[in-house]
Amino acid sequence: MSAVSGSVRHYSALALLRARFAGPKYWRPLWTGRKLQPAYDVVVVGAGGHGLAIAFHLARDHGIKRVAVLEKRLVGYGNVGRNTTIVRSNYLLPENHYFYEDSLRRWETLSRDLNYNVMYSPRGVVDLALTDDAFPALARRGNAMRLAGIDAELLDLAALGRFAPELEPRRQRRFPIAGALLQRRGGTVRHDAVAWGYARAASALGVDIIEDCEVTGVRAAANAATGVETTRGYVRSERIVFATAGHTGMIGTMLGTPLPIETHLLQAMVSEPIKPLVNSVIVYVSPGHGETYICQSDRGGLVMGGHLDGFPSYTREGQWHRLEDVVQGAVELFPRIGSVKILRQWAGTNDMTMDGSPIMDRLRYDNVFVNAGWCYGGFKAIPASGAAFAKFVATGTAPDLIRAYRLSRFATGHMLDEPGQGPFPVRL
Amino acid sequence: MTRLACPFCGPRELCEFEFHKTLPAAGSHGEFERTYLRVADPALSIEHWQHLAGCRAWLLVHRNPSTGAVFEVELQGGVAR
Repeated sequence: MSAVSGSVRHYSALALLRARFAGPKYWRPLWTGRKLQPAYDVVVVGAGGHGLAIAFHLARDHGIKRVAVLEKRLVGYGNVGRNTTIVRSNYLLPENHYFYEDSLRRWETLSRDLNYNVMYSPRGVVDLALTDDAFPALARRGNAMRLAGIDAELLDLAALGRFAPELEPRRQRRFPIAGALLQRRGGTVRHDAVAWGYARAASALGVDIIEDCEVTGVRAAANAATGVETTRGYVRSERIVFATAGHTGMIGTMLGTPLPIETHLLQAMVSEPIKPLVNSVIVYVSPGHGETYICQSDRGGLVMGGHLDGFPSYTREGQWHRLEDVVQGAVELFPRIGSVKILRQWAGTNDMTMDGSPIMDRLRYDNVFVNAGWCYGGFKAIPASGAAFAKFVATGTAPDLIRAYRLSRFATGHMLDEPGQGPFPVRL
Repeated sequence: MTRLACPFCGPRELCEFEFHKTLPAAGSHGEFERTYLRVADPALSIEHWQHLAGCRAWLLVHRNPSTGAVFEVELQGGVAR
């Protein structure tokens, strides 16, 4: 059964053919402009990937009829439209790799589930080791993944040369490649299509998507929240979900509950289009320039990112010296792109938690839920987060898949410190 | 925000400095609160920085994280020159 019905057209080859003769009026808006109602069963704050996915699953899997997604700006204005589109499940810690593997499996069928092409491209994610001691660390991560039944291959230089000849693994470099870890099912997904696809599917199921509506406060009585104050007036709701990546710290302040989160900026950039050069997603830490990840968009632009800017900020303005690090790292690996121009650069705000792993729990009240702390890895988590968190909100019990992401882990010492850096949101 | 004014060295490029930690909120006394929790204030953030690639002085920087405006850079602990 398709998720889409009612107000929007079902997409198919036949629909394309019909549209060819019916003209452009055949197509309808992806999500309809509905009016804000005075009361809902669930109000989701934030129309990003996570918020829209949660609303979609609440409506489709749990039959909750009155769901609203309130968005301060526009659908997909935040990080779902600002990331580098990479999906993978190559994590070391069991709690993380089981969760992200669930997500990767959902990416594989998402286009069908949403009846919207999100352009999942399993082109392979290659983690390079540029030092001898980085290689055993990759082997350890790969072994942990294989024990969990997740695909991972450790590549020596010959195997890497066969998979990604453009890397020229045996080339003389300042920091020669020592080996790589490959996840073949990892790759990229068209990020904007994810926001649009979920918004369209949720809207078709009756979810009200209200843009330009900022939540400014939570009203509560007798230890339970009763609704949210917004710039368009008060909205009553049985349950409230915050999926406000990048600004969850402010939600904590709004509710009087400080959170183990700092907001940091992460930059991304894209080059002018060039002929096909990079056929997979390449991730590495250069001893000279820090972290770089690079892939090539379908239009031909090299999409690149690196490490956080390094200090708390909400400005969405990236630091020049971090952009330089990323570009120098990219040119170090691919000297031939030295004369390619950067076309655009942008930044997104990231909820950085004190252990690098997300937070999915209740917040202060029994009927207020927070889906946050995705650090710089929220995009790839969207399908699993949407399904599991909707189940949590609908049933009141967190599914096993997300139980480790409870907020109390910071107080009880059960941190999920994937980067192994201690209680800091960023270590450079 | 592209530069910070070090009390010893004057205005220098931001890449010379390293952010270390946000100051805990006033009134948070427990070890857990001080280590893990942050009170997000979009108008003011007080942070430990170090002039790492310069005089290596430890600094307290008062900033607006929403605009990037720097209000004040002082020596940590107010050590006399």
